[in-house]
Amino acid sequence: MASTLRLYLTCIRNTLEAAMCLQNFPCQEVERHNKPEVELKTSPELLLNPVLICRNEAEKCLIETSINSIRISLKVKQADELENILAKKFLRFLSMRAEAFQVLRRKPVQGYDISFLITNYHCEELQKQKLIDFIVQFMEDIDKEISELKMSVSTRGRLVATEFLKQF
Amino acid sequence: MAEVKKSVESDNAKDILTKIENKSLKIESLIKQYKFIEAIKTALEGYPPRDERCKSANWIGVHKALMAIKDVEGMLRSLDPQYYDILMKYIYRGLSTGNRTTCDQCLKIHEKLTEKAGFGCILRSLADTVNTV
Repeated sequence: MASTLRLYLTCIRNTLEAAMCLQNFPCQEVERHNKPEVELKTSPELLLNPVLICRNEAEKCLIETSINSIRISLKVKQADELENILAKKFLRFLSMRAEAFQVLRRKPVQGYDISFLITNYHCEELQKQKLIDFIVQFMEDIDKEISELKMSVSTRGRLVATEFLKQF
Repeated sequence: MAEVKKSVESDNAKDILTKIENKSLKIESLIKQYKFIEAIKTALEGYPPRDERCKSANWIGVHKALMAIKDVEGMLRSLDPQYYDILMKYIYRGLSTGNRTTCDQCLKIHEKLTEKAGFGCILRSLADTVNTV
């Protein structure tokens, strides 16, 4: 179980290392505009093949690259209904504070739970290795966070129920 | 004129489909004889087809050969470097299927192949929009 996680993260890390070669590229259609090409997808010559890396039926990672931007969309493991709700709320909380993260996208891509958008400007200001480390670390920590949240919800539920039923 | 061209293309597709079926049978017989490395070489040979149906048929044969491999290191050691790029493309196709066993096997091969072939191999499989698998 742990070994597939390690292999999955290694695969994503290697793919990101190879795919994160971004350069500044002004918009071809509109003068003096500079847009992330992976979001607009207007010119096919600027886009690379999108790559979908699945660990199993539930978890997957979509990496779309273009000349000046890369979009990474993640779907995290959600075993039951409670994890579903917790993951949705937690990731929505993060997405709403996307300004603070810089590389986070405010809305996840359709079919995924959270998305990152990294442009050439991010690669110029921040270190590429550190960006990749951040994304892989994020994926590791998300699972831990959601399990912790689930445990605290069940613990609290149990305490509340015990207290409430004491009066009977 | 376009209709003539389409009928020629579909004839070509049928030829390619029969060739791919023969290749699949050959791969299966090689796997039964435990000759995994030859099976993979046969599977990876030949130009990836253009037509979607041919691509799917080709993928089924390659998938069988990939799932039969137990010794990844040995396989990569005996494989010619010219096959690394095409193998990487098939691995990414395997990873996109989402099937648990396929993905497990493909992740193992991906790690070892990246160690051997480097990041250039990954980038070539991403950048080649013409010859997709």
